[in-house]
Order: sequence, then C-alpha cells, then structure tokens
Amino acid sequence: MPEAAPGPARPARSHLWAWALIALVLAGALALGRGDPGPPSDAQRAHDIATEIRCPTCRGLSAADSDAPSSQAIRDEILRRVQAGQTDGQIRGYLVSRYTIDILLEPQRHGVAVLVWALPIVAGIAALGGLILAFRRWRAHPGVAVSAGDQALVDEALRR
Amino acid sequence: MNAALGTAGVALALSAAVLGMVTLAVGLRRGDPRLLSAGQRYVWLILGGAVLSVVAMEAAFIGHDFALKYVADNGSRETPFLYTVSGMWSALEGSILLWSLILAGYLAVMVRHFRARAGDHLVAWATLTGFAVAAFFFGLMAGPANPFKVISGVVPADGQGPNPLLQNHPLVAFHPPILYMGFVGFTIPFAFAIAALVTGRVGEGWLVETRRWTLFAWGFLTVGIVLGAWWSYEVLGWGGYWAWDPVENASFLPWLTATAYIHSVMVQERRGMLRVWNLSLLVSTFALTILGTFLTRSGVLDSVHAFSESNIGPALLGFFALVVGVSIALIGWRGDRLRSPGAIDSPLSREGAFLANNVAFGAFAFVVLLGTVFPLIAEAINGDRLSVGAPYFDTMTAPVGFTLLFLMAVAPALPWRKASGELLHRRLLWPAWAATVTVVACVAAGLRGLAPLIAFGLGAFAAAAAVRQLLLSARAARRQGSPAWRGLLGRANGGMVVHIGVVVIAVAFAASHSYGQRHEFRLDPGQTAHLGGHSITYLGTTTVQHANKKTLSARVRVDGGQVYEPALQQFPFASQAIGSPSVRVGILDDVYLTLVAAPEGDTTAAVVGINVQPLIAWLWIGGGLMGFGTFLAAWPGRRRRPTEPSSAPAVPTVEPSMAPVADDPPVAVGPHA
Repeated sequence: MPEAAPGPARPARSHLWAWALIALVLAGALALGRGDPGPPSDAQRAHDIATEIRCPTCRGLSAADSDAPSSQAIRDEILRRVQAGQTDGQIRGYLVSRYTIDILLEPQRHGVAVLVWALPIVAGIAALGGLILAFRRWRAHPGVAVSAGDQALVDEALRR
Repeated sequence: MNAALGTAGVALALSAAVLGMVTLAVGLRRGDPRLLSAGQRYVWLILGGAVLSVVAMEAAFIGHDFALKYVADNGSRETPFLYTVSGMWSALEGSILLWSLILAGYLAVMVRHFRARAGDHLVAWATLTGFAVAAFFFGLMAGPANPFKVISGVVPADGQGPNPLLQNHPLVAFHPPILYMGFVGFTIPFAFAIAALVTGRVGEGWLVETRRWTLFAWGFLTVGIVLGAWWSYEVLGWGGYWAWDPVENASFLPWLTATAYIHSVMVQERRGMLRVWNLSLLVSTFALTILGTFLTRSGVLDSVHAFSESNIGPALLGFFALVVGVSIALIGWRGDRLRSPGAIDSPLSREGAFLANNVAFGAFAFVVLLGTVFPLIAEAINGDRLSVGAPYFDTMTAPVGFTLLFLMAVAPALPWRKASGELLHRRLLWPAWAATVTVVACVAAGLRGLAPLIAFGLGAFAAAAAVRQLLLSARAARRQGSPAWRGLLGRANGGMVVHIGVVVIAVAFAASHSYGQRHEFRLDPGQTAHLGGHSITYLGTTTVQHANKKTLSARVRVDGGQVYEPALQQFPFASQAIGSPSVRVGILDDVYLTLVAAPEGDTTAAVVGINVQPLIAWLWIGGGLMGFGTFLAAWPGRRRRPTEPSSAPAVPTVEPSMAPVADDPPVAVGPHA
C-alpha cells in the first residue's frame, strides 16, 4: 500500500467538517427520497397482502406472483374484501380459515412460529457478545504464549 | 447392454474406492510410501468406472434404450438432442451419477497434482478422505439410487421425456453441471482439512495448498447459482429469479459459509489465528452440500426442484451426521494444537472487518438454514404445518445484506493491525462522496423508497472503494514497469472485481424488487396496453405442432418494434400446459411477457401478463463479473520467491518454515500410527 504511512492519531478538524457535510447531505437526500407513504390504494393493499399468501396449487410462489387459477381466485377475493373495507388481519384470518395456517408465507409472531423470528436475533446477539468478549480478552492478554514456531511463521508471512 | 456396462462401471468405481482406502490405510499404518503411491493410483480406476457408467447412461439416452427405467422415465424419441443429453441429470439417480463423475474427476486432478508428494501423509490422508466420499456416492448408486435399474416386463416403445420444465431452455444443460462443479469441488479442501487434523499438521500449509481449489469451487458455485436464477427467470414465467425455494436455499447455504471462509482464511494465513473457526467453516460448507442434497432430494421438503420421493434420505442424513461427527471429534482432539497464538489488536482493522464479515455471513446462513428447515421443526414440536416464505427471508436478510455492502466498502480501506482516523479519512472520503452523489442523483431523478436508496448508496460506496483499490494497484503495476492490467491479477485485486460484481447484483436486485411493475391485460388482436413506459400490442396467436410438444404462442409487439412470442406449451405426458415467457432484454429494463390465457371458444381476446422490471440484465452481468474476478484472483501472481515457504512440500530440506515449528511435526502421528 503506497500510502500506509501512519497519520496523526486524531483526524484534523477540516476532516470532521467533510464527514459532517456528507452525513448532512445524505440525511437530507434520504429524507426527501423516502417518498410520501400516504394511504395505499386498494389495489396496492390487495397486492401487498397477496405477496404474503402462498399459492395453494404451485410450489414456493406467492399468490401475487403466480398465474395459477387458484392464485387468481385468491387475488380477486382479497381485492373484493379490501374494497369491502376489511382490515389486513381480517382478510388473512379469512384465508387461514378457508385454507390452513400454512397459507401464510410469513410465519406468525406467536406460538411455535415465534422461534423462527427470535432465534436469529438471539444468535446474532450471542455472536456480537462473543466478539466483544474476544476483543476484551485480546486486549487484556495481547501477546499470550506465542510459540517460537508460530512466531517464525507469522514473521515469515509479515515479511512477504 | 448399457445397463450391464453402467452397473459394471459403478461396481468398478466403488470397489476401487474401497480398495484404495484399504491400501492407503495399510500404507499409512506401515509408513510405506510405495503402498501410499499405489493406493492413490486407484483414482484412475474410480475415474474409469465413473466415465464408463456415464458413457453407458448417455449411450442409453441417445440410443433410446428404454429397457433402462431411468431412460424410459426421462428420455423419449421426440426429445431434442440437447435435452436428451441433459436428460441424464434431470432426475435423482442421474444427478448422483453426475455428482460422482465430477467427484472422480476432481480426485484424479488432485492425485495428479500432488503426485510428487504421494508419500506425504497429509496427501495420503486427503486422498483417503476423498475416496471415502467417493465410496459413499458410488455406494448410493449401487444401492438405493441405482440409475441402471432395468424395466421388468415389456420394454416400452417410447419414454416420457424429461420434466417439461427441463426441456425448454438450453440453460438446463449448463446450470446443473456448473453448480455441481461448485458443490463437489469443496470435497478437496474438506479432505485436506481432515488430513491436516488427523496428521496434526494444522499449520497454514494445507490452507495455502487448497486456496486455489477452494476459489475454483467457489467460482463455479457462484456462477452455477446465478445461472440457476437466470434459468428460473427465463423458464418459470413468474417474472422473478429467486423465490427462497428450499433448493435455492440449499445451494446458497454452502455459498454463504464458503464466502465467509475465503475471507477469514486470510486472517489465518496472515496472522495464524482463527484456526478452529476456519476449519469449522470449511467442514460446514462441505456438510451443507450434503445436507442440501438430503433436504431437497429425499422429499422431506416441498420444492419446485424436488425430484420424486426416494429412499436415499436416511443414507444422506447418516453421511451428513458422520461428516459432522468426525469433524467435531477431530477438532476437539486437536484442540491444543489449534489454539491460536496472538491477538487482534483493534476492531478497526482488516482482521476486525473480516471478523464482522464472518458474523454477518454466519447470521445470513443461520437465517436461511433456520427458515428452510423450520417447517420441519414446527411440525416435530406440535404438529403445526406452517410455511416460511419470501416475506420472512426478505425481512430477515435485508439488514444483513446492507451490513455486508457497508463492510465491502470499508474493509478494503482498512490496514492490518490497526487503522488511524487520518488513514480512514484519506481512503474513504471519495468513496463516501461517490455514495452521497449517487443518492442525491437518484432522489433528483425521482426515485423514492428508503431501502432501494440505501442499497444504491451503499453499492456506490462499495464499488468506489473497490475501484479505488484497482486503480492504485494498476498504478503500482505501471510503476514497476508492467502493463496496468497486471494490477487486476492476484487475490486482492481479483477480489475487488468480485466485489464490483456483487455490487452490480445488489443494485439490480434492489431495483427490480422495488421498482418492478406487473399487470395482466385482456387484449383483443390489435389492442395496445401500456405499462412502465412501454407499449405492448397483441397481434394474435399461432399454434405450432412440434415433435415433442404443441406450442400455442401469442404474437406481441413491444414498443412498436420487434415481435415477441410468449407461449403455452402442451407436452404429451404433462397434464397442464407449461407457460414459457418471452423477454425483451434491455440494459435499463426488461419487458417480460407471459401468455396467461389463450383465446377460448368464440372470443379472440388473450390475457397477456406484462412484467416491467428495471436492471434485471445486470444480475447476469454481475454474476459474470464475479466469475471473472474469481478467475483473476486465482491467477498465479508474480512469485516473490521461488517457493512460498508455507506451501513447500513436507520434505524437511525444502520446508524452511515447517521444520522449526515445534508442534507441527512433518511425520504423521495419527491414530493409525
């Protein structure tokens, strides 16, 4: 790396200004670009619900993506109920009672299904915790028991 | 005749694998180099057996030998030549045959590559492990997944042909073999990992030796997955390319762990750390290829790819358990040698970034694995049948994806050991401006939505960081008197090309997910529909009778120009007509046309599905870039010294770095000794 020369430990003040400007511009652009959510149209709402419903006769596709007649029927039913003023929850409830619980592509957030949401979060926290612990241990014992052989290997690698 | 030849080939390969294992084991026990060398030569018999059975299978397909049950089920006289050849891997038994052929090929190349070191116990153990894997797969074909079963009773005059979906796009001929080149390729580094554990030579030697093998397998797996997505897009007719289907997940899981491995292995090569972690990642990658085969080929999970139910499930699950069990036992047994010296000084360093990368890839793999098998878990717990589909995977993996894009931008700028603020400022400032300008430009152009904007911004950040590295490297090459393109070669630079490919895919993925539009139109001939800035005119239908199918296609003019023909195809043995989409490919967006319903009875109107998705073509371009980058990364760089010290053979006189290592004796002290 041609520019790997160590710089001063603290960045100069002008540097901070540059990064603050970047953060400001980015935040402004993202706030503008977030778009106006507004109330979705009936068709949009029906489509959003359909993406979370399994196509009953095909494999691995949602009712929104599939051209199968059964999916078409589900889409029509959802749109009819959206226009009749039902909530998303009511429509999903109807579909579950009409088919079975596995018509929902997104697992529920209660019962056994809660595990599929919680386990990754628990595992993620555990991994981060483990990493923090490891760094603390490395900081506490920076040069633990380097055998001569391994030191030679490392030196060899560093000299390359 | 073909059945007999094929069965003989399988038997030859199986017995050669077993005899080779026995010879190697005896040779290792006695420390007899001649036996070791003889044992490794059995690989040519394994390869011969595999080639013989594949030739017999293809001869049966091409010669329409319907006495073979597999050929009667997957071939027919009317099937075009290409799909007759690819018929071999269009069902379970034949894919195991393809897997075995590729495995035999890899093993043969490995034995040949290391032939000068046939007496080295590391190589001998690796070969033994490879033979054991081969014995398992040929054993499958000798037992539960026999592709050469003969039909009892009358031989049919014609076969059924492959699954209709597997005979209407030429990618079927390329996607499975390339994907398998990836899957099977991980057998070689896995074999060396096991050999390193058994012989106790767990230093960095075996890593460096298998580096290129791993890259090779990874590159094929990457390209294979992208080709699979492309096939799915071109054939399945729903306009998407990735459905989080169990088989897609099964191919993606080893890719995730392998990607984590090829990053974290650099920490070990450089600093001698993370040995247990790297071994675990490598073993997981190999084990996940087996688990994926089990999940998707045994009928426990529903999938578009799932072949008919079969009884190879227990065998695959048992082998998976064996691989995991043996590996964990060996890692535990070698625990003391694997303890890594040294420490990572600061989280803000290259090695810190690799650790973060590993946490992210680990989390990604965990989510995908959990989501894939969760329906089984839930059913086992309380009998609930539930689905885990795309909404779950999208929600859970999006944050991980953003994290990875961010790391791709920052990590190449970080130095080993410890970074200073000044250094980060200098290296990251213009990539950060590139990201900012990109986001501002996107917003100014009218694009809305937080997720895609963040994806584009992070993509620009990562791409700029990669381009910066490549420019520096090209400049360094020029300064040393080499042409600038030399700066693209080698692991770090090829890696940056791969990163650019990943960014291209991420941007295309975000764009097509967020800004795609789809609609179905009922159109009379001559009528025009408008969607996403395109005009689509329906002209009428045509029916063509082919030898193997009847095609009813709609003629559709896109933007007043070329005519495209989405179709419905009726195959004689399929109950439903198969829709085959037609795509106007574009650099900015694709217009994806499907014929949803043909005119019926007296009506002349057809229902045409139109899907306008931006930047889709860049998914395939990004995949190509990733493959090309892998090729550059594997390119032998300019050697700084004639022999890399850590990859020298295990002969004490030419092994300067191994000899002084007290806990790394050149002679094996495994349980056989």
